[in-house]
Amino acid sequence: MQLTRRSAIAGAAIVGAVLASPAARAQVAEFDTSHTVYYESPFRTNMFVYTPSAALSVTPAEPVDIRAGWEADVVSGASVAVKAGPAYQATHPAADVVTTASVHDFRNVGRGGFTLRKETVSLSGDYAFSTEHDYRSHSLNVAAKTELFDHNTQLEINYARNFDTTCDRVQSTDDAPPRFRALEDSSGCFTSGATRTTHSIGVDGLQGGWTQAWSPVFATQLVYTAQITSGFQSNPYRSVILGEGLKTQEHHPENRAREGLALRGNFFIRPIRAALRLGVRGYWDTWDVKSITGEAEIEKYLSEGLRIDAHGRFYKQSGALFWSDDYTGGDRPLGPRGQYWTGDRELSPFTSILVGLRLTYTITPQRGRLLGLMTSLKLAVHGSAMQFSYDEYTLGGSTIGNARAYLGGLALSAVF
Amino acid sequence: MHAHRPMAPSMRALAAVLAALSAAGCVTVRPQDRATLADPTMRFEGDPQVASQERHAIENREGSYGGSGVSGGGCGCN
Repeated sequence: MQLTRRSAIAGAAIVGAVLASPAARAQVAEFDTSHTVYYESPFRTNMFVYTPSAALSVTPAEPVDIRAGWEADVVSGASVAVKAGPAYQATHPAADVVTTASVHDFRNVGRGGFTLRKETVSLSGDYAFSTEHDYRSHSLNVAAKTELFDHNTQLEINYARNFDTTCDRVQSTDDAPPRFRALEDSSGCFTSGATRTTHSIGVDGLQGGWTQAWSPVFATQLVYTAQITSGFQSNPYRSVILGEGLKTQEHHPENRAREGLALRGNFFIRPIRAALRLGVRGYWDTWDVKSITGEAEIEKYLSEGLRIDAHGRFYKQSGALFWSDDYTGGDRPLGPRGQYWTGDRELSPFTSILVGLRLTYTITPQRGRLLGLMTSLKLAVHGSAMQFSYDEYTLGGSTIGNARAYLGGLALSAVF
Repeated sequence: MHAHRPMAPSMRALAAVLAALSAAGCVTVRPQDRATLADPTMRFEGDPQVASQERHAIENREGSYGGSGVSGGGCGCN
């Protein structure tokens, strides 16, 4: 919270300095804020997340942009604490072998960065710090971008490094992973409490992008992403039933290498003043999760400042190599999968479909400034719904009904 | 006699990208024709604020990550 207050004061000071200076009239400052809510209530669990954000960027001199921002996630709901599958439930018909636990968290992120430009080249650097009750993250990001062939080609390369720390329960030194117990709650995390410990997580990410204008109304973008994550990657709160009386903390491999390749195309349809955006993305990683994503979006001008956007997304993934809905056995695809186990539905095979709408209204005065300050003001309202369909994931053999999530919010941008 | 080894798939992909990039050099969209490409509707990420919030929610519920895009557009105006 202290970081948040400092970021807000620093942001206000920058904007004040820029607006107060007569010489700064030709300079640019942009303030963005957004407020988003996410809600899902599938079988036996639920989750509500409110995400406010605020960001400010200023151009104090022509070749330099400076930016700062803040974002939070206010999370409350109930998630699965102990996961068991149909085979185990079948041998314990009188018991409810799956349990849930309430979740409350508050994630704060403060960030800052700069961009330096010279002719067709720009260099950027960003830093972000985020904190939760049980997780902390420092993130550094550097990027370089250049334009070639009369600005028709843009090449961008980006490297990011995260230094993260997560909280966990101290395990008995005599125990091995099949005997580890899950973290009960986040009390005592990041203190010198004897029952809590921390694990480091390192994330290295590299991304290369090629954006190309092919005609006055058609452009494409090809993006390759590679990421290596090392360290504790399980959910410390979640347990999985491995056998009779053996309830053990989720245990994921410590290393994961991911790759993704995306191709997008934008086409502007002049007769109806609309842009059509199509995209496809392939993903694969060393946990054997493979996915394919298809996206389609159309955005049309209803009047000079008013646009409507409709978009859809299809996503399908395979399960991780060590995924099983029930590690205690049963007919395939149930049964143990080597030395790792998970209760994470995100590592099971599933399909999801998203549909969404967005309405954007932009006011750009022909002369002067809005309220004597702004050169433009933009307001966007958006909403989307997601439907998940799990091929194998169950809670004690019960399929996840009503696996639907809703996302909606407001975003406002003011340019000074 | 030298046996010809087939090119590895990753090298073939790299060669294809380089060939396409070379072809891009032949494309010329003149600055005065770039107004449409600079339109906000031609940004690959749509509305960057909204797209970022949507991505944040989606990435927390799917097992894959990456390739979500880079900023800017093809107009050389960013």
